Amino acid sequence: MTTSTTDLLGKPLTEQEQELLNVYDALKKLAAQDDLPPCVARNVRQALASMWQATNDLDLQFEQLYEYGV
Amino acid sequence: MAYSEYWNPKNETMPREELQALQLLKLRRMCDWAYAKSPFHRRKFDAAGFHPEQLKTLDDLRRIPFMTREEWMESIFNTPMFGDITTTDHNHAIRYHLTSGTSGRTPIRVLDGTKDWDWIAEMWCYGLWGFGVRPEDSVYFAFGYGSFIGFWGAHYCCEKIGALVIPGGAQTTEARVKQIVEMGVTTVCSTPTYALTMWQKARELGIDLAKDSKVNKLICSGEPAGSIPAVKRQLEEAWGAKCGDTAGMTELGTIMIFECSHQPGGTHIIEDNYIEEVLDPATGEPVGYGELGERVVTSFGRGFIPAIRYRTKDMVMKVPASTCSCGRTWDIYDGGIRGRWDDMKLIRGTNVYPRAVESIVREYPAIDEFQIYIWRKDTLTDEITIKVEIKPGFESQWETLQRDLAKDLANAHEGLRFNIERVDYGVLPHFELKAKRLVDARPVAQYNQ
Repeated sequence: MTTSTTDLLGKPLTEQEQELLNVYDALKKLAAQDDLPPCVARNVRQALASMWQATNDLDLQFEQLYEYGV
Repeated sequence: MAYSEYWNPKNETMPREELQALQLLKLRRMCDWAYAKSPFHRRKFDAAGFHPEQLKTLDDLRRIPFMTREEWMESIFNTPMFGDITTTDHNHAIRYHLTSGTSGRTPIRVLDGTKDWDWIAEMWCYGLWGFGVRPEDSVYFAFGYGSFIGFWGAHYCCEKIGALVIPGGAQTTEARVKQIVEMGVTTVCSTPTYALTMWQKARELGIDLAKDSKVNKLICSGEPAGSIPAVKRQLEEAWGAKCGDTAGMTELGTIMIFECSHQPGGTHIIEDNYIEEVLDPATGEPVGYGELGERVVTSFGRGFIPAIRYRTKDMVMKVPASTCSCGRTWDIYDGGIRGRWDDMKLIRGTNVYPRAVESIVREYPAIDEFQIYIWRKDTLTDEITIKVEIKPGFESQWETLQRDLAKDLANAHEGLRFNIERVDYGVLPHFELKAKRLVDARPVAQYNQ
């Protein structure tokens, strides 16, 4: 799903890192949808905030998420 | 189960050249974000002739203007309630906290979004995991759970780690001590002062915490004492536990330094999430390893309110990561936060600025002269007493004044208890020039022990 194949320092992603980034991107895509029921919309945002930590900790992304309400 | 010693092995042991490359990349992005979204930062950058594109190397950091608490407060004063420093719609916030201001009643108010609030817990995870907290631990928070940010982040960190969290809010010291013993708590989070208070209360109850409790880790924050060797020794003996120091700021939302389980006599800087400069407070020039200077922090966490080159006035001494045997490549503040370069005082975890106290005291026309007297009760608890002289003819106002002044000061300082004491007229020094109304009678910390 994601086009990135390297981390922020330009190192190739491991298979595990690629999976993490895919999950993160999938959550972003879900969070962008405006027709989710509240139970989904809010839990997706919680999950996205958690995945931001994991992917940021591993230097896979560094961005802000306020446009998603996160 | 065998756990990694590090919360984030990749970054905690990253070679420093890579760490610095990561810091530069995050710095550029955070400055881009602040310039685009925060009128406060855009105004400051423009006034200094700085643009984020100028950041080519980490040395270019010095092109960025300093950010001060006074500027932030002015922004809050001019654009209530949060100033024009915020970068996004306030509806995105899920959390509000505050810290006492440098003058008057206006506090520094902060907001966090969902991602920021989770990041705040994440920084505590680096620290608490690094000190040895694991899913098997039961962690007790001797903390008031109010608007003061205190251990809020640590609470959520421990849930994230998978430990059993026992919130000890709104309880007496006796109830807390009993709960710690009854619940088989293994880790206690507290200010160093309050950890000593709990120990004293336990003794009164006939409880020997070192023998009767299962506590093996004491996590201190909110005061420098957690890294003062004499206090640390006293705490470790009293509790029969290892004592680890951490330090954070409401302005950042969380901790930026922590002591690891190897206890190197200082605190590692979380360098993948912060740039911590140590500068000569007079010239603003960097000082080397082993020299005292002022901490200036840039955070890569809270995007809601960017803190970029924020002058903390904290006194620190940086030493290389290799000073510690833990294997982290993150530099260390030897002795943690050693003190202040300004007149701010830390009383039971709350910031107190003498000029803020004065501005409130001066709202009472019945007061002629006053003195801020800071002292240590029973060698354990820091106390702040405002000694006041009542103007002749206003004596009948004393009782009301005593009650109202204590309430006003507490309201402006996160509920901190102020003792208000009346002294006879003429007892306090009266000044014509350079008034010195602060007396700090606490023992001076010794680091070289």
